[in-house]
Amino acid sequence: MSNPALLLLQDVLEEPKLIDWEWIKENFWEDIVPALQGHIFLSFISIGIALIIALPVGVLSARYRKAYPPVTAVTGALYSIPSLALLAILISIPGVAIGPSPVIIALVAYSLLILIRNTVAGLDSVPPETIDAARGMGLTNRQILFRVELPLALPIIVAGIRIATVTIIGIATIGAYINGGGLGTLIFDGIGRQFPTMIISGAVLATALAIVADLLLLALERYLRPWARARRT
Amino acid sequence: MIEFRGVSKTYPGSEKPVVNDLSFEVPDGEICVLVGPSGCGKTTSMRMVNRLIEITEGEILIDGETNTSLSGTQLRRKIGYAIQQIGLFPHRTIAVNIGTVPKLLGWDKNRIKNRVDELLDTVGLAPDDYRDRYPAELSGGQQQRVGVARALAADPPIMLMDEPFGAVDPITRVGLQDEFLRIQKDIKKTIVFVTHDIDEAIKMGDKIAILKQGGVLAQYDTPANILARPDSEFVSSFVGGDRVLKRLSLTRVGEMDLERANGGTDDLLRINGGLTVKDALSELIGSGHTRAVVEKDGENGLLTFEAIEDLMGGTSDEDSNGGESSE
Amino acid sequence: MLFKILEVYARPDFPEKLRQHIVLSLVALLVAIAIAMPVAVMIRNTRLGAAIAINIGNIGRAVPSLAILALALPFFGIGFGSALVALTALAIPPILINASTGLREVDKGIIDAARGMGLSGSQILTGIQLPIAAPVIFAGIKTSAVQTVASATLATFIGGGGLGDLIVEGYSRKGPEILLAGALAVAILAIITEVGFGMLERAFTPKGLKIAQKRRG
Repeated sequence: MSNPALLLLQDVLEEPKLIDWEWIKENFWEDIVPALQGHIFLSFISIGIALIIALPVGVLSARYRKAYPPVTAVTGALYSIPSLALLAILISIPGVAIGPSPVIIALVAYSLLILIRNTVAGLDSVPPETIDAARGMGLTNRQILFRVELPLALPIIVAGIRIATVTIIGIATIGAYINGGGLGTLIFDGIGRQFPTMIISGAVLATALAIVADLLLLALERYLRPWARARRT
Repeated sequence: MIEFRGVSKTYPGSEKPVVNDLSFEVPDGEICVLVGPSGCGKTTSMRMVNRLIEITEGEILIDGETNTSLSGTQLRRKIGYAIQQIGLFPHRTIAVNIGTVPKLLGWDKNRIKNRVDELLDTVGLAPDDYRDRYPAELSGGQQQRVGVARALAADPPIMLMDEPFGAVDPITRVGLQDEFLRIQKDIKKTIVFVTHDIDEAIKMGDKIAILKQGGVLAQYDTPANILARPDSEFVSSFVGGDRVLKRLSLTRVGEMDLERANGGTDDLLRINGGLTVKDALSELIGSGHTRAVVEKDGENGLLTFEAIEDLMGGTSDEDSNGGESSE
Repeated sequence: MLFKILEVYARPDFPEKLRQHIVLSLVALLVAIAIAMPVAVMIRNTRLGAAIAINIGNIGRAVPSLAILALALPFFGIGFGSALVALTALAIPPILINASTGLREVDKGIIDAARGMGLSGSQILTGIQLPIAAPVIFAGIKTSAVQTVASATLATFIGGGGLGDLIVEGYSRKGPEILLAGALAVAILAIITEVGFGMLERAFTPKGLKIAQKRRG
């Protein structure tokens, strides 16, 4: 057994009072909403930054294949570090530890691999004949990229964004451990205070947020891929 | 012998039957082709023989016994089955693919091996080369041959074939059709063959069953009879406006009863006796002449337009009884 | 620093933590397979069942691991057992999705030919559907395994033990070598899992399919 606080928790949890609705009503605006807002904010910023980095890197890797393996190696290595560890490491680095930055850095790092991989896969999926036809019609490389390749690659790229977003929302819950804010705060505080209601609110909201984001992006993915919408299983 | 007796199929929840009161007989050793437009129920009818689809009304008799006397699985192991998508098992070698039903029936290893080699030979694939390969390594035409070999493996008396040569290009298809007809001459299986292509039906069938939308039998007869005497407007138009020309493709010029070509034939077009009358006519017209010399077994016959007309005006047999040319 | 990390591995409690982590991950994975595979097999021929399974799987994949582990607390208490329940639930989705999709995507022409030749339903399942779907199924198991190893790190928060304990300890006591030791151990474990299951995946891919893959390649 690791943590002494948890030993005490064991005693208290014999009581079957799981959800204290009074507490929820009282602290809704004080605790719950800020946590939710913080979580959404963290996720948005992280996916935004990640995209700004990953899309150009993805496009370049698709063009200059030699660069792709090292890029995959680096982002893959970042991905395999356990999230808890990466967060803890980042916060130990002096100068990085201000507010939500270590969490954002970690979230961005985790999503790079999938975003870059899907950007490359998306661009690879564009049929060569289509690009050939475009070139034959006189489009410049830049025009081909923005008017032909990226739009056709979009469904796969969005699929990657969907996975990355869900991952980010998940890891952001852990970010609360190093005081990064977000819904994880409710969870960890709940554990520390031996208060199931907090734990459940945080966990349920985090789960709901992830599912909503997943479904919205799934709808976007389907919308972008009309030929797959009508597919029969 | 396969007999359809008042066979109907209606899917639950549907008002109209997809197969409607179908009755006909396929004699032993003959190929009966089911042909018709989309939605005529030809594939459904075929699949009712081996009970992949169950009959709603009527019965199908195989050699006098209804096909429900055995379980579906047992029945199918006695009927050869070849389909358009072929359906070779990609994870098994060609030899294992072909040996599937024999293995299910409990044949011993040696017997299976010999049979596999024999069949590969029959379909024109060298056993040593192909036995241990995997389907992904074969071309479409080769895969289709393996499909036929697989259907023949347990030497079933009956075979069901649903567009079995459909997945390849037209040139390969003709080759496969010819080879299969050659094989059939030896093995004489009783076959129900489905196609949407009337030309394939005419070429392959000893009997043709033309089906209409809604699974109704429009006409059941030999190809020659259907071409010479279509029963209805539907059959007539389904068979095609070039019906008479199609009849010409049923006979070879070498089989015609032609007047001997005497001397003075050196400057005439020479036509090989193995050509169909239709192809010979085509060459004749193209040559700009009105007569040509047909070579067969060292003898020369004189081919004229009148001779062809007489052939058409003759009886309904497939064997020509062309009258004399009016000279 | 490297020495200090190695010293952590030499600690008497390290093998226990490593064992806990491995047992947690392995048992969760095996139970998840035992639940997901029969379900995938049962729904393999029905369209509705497959749709439900895939939707549950997709939603399950989105759920944050920490949230599920935390939810186990009020209902199952703290400790190993609780963590195991949560990790099992988390391990099911990738396997369910891959197994369902893999079985359903076996070419319908192949199955029709098999039925037409007289193979029974169970012969088709074991002789055709499962072998052909095997690569996809094992890919799903691999994904789930790696994911479970990573999530097991969080078991520490509900008293489940495992290598996460080291990370937490290192963080709260400001002993970076302990933290790094824990992080490194999990990372190596994850890589071993990925590589190991990758080999398993290749081993269970039938030869004929490998050839087909290469040709398409």
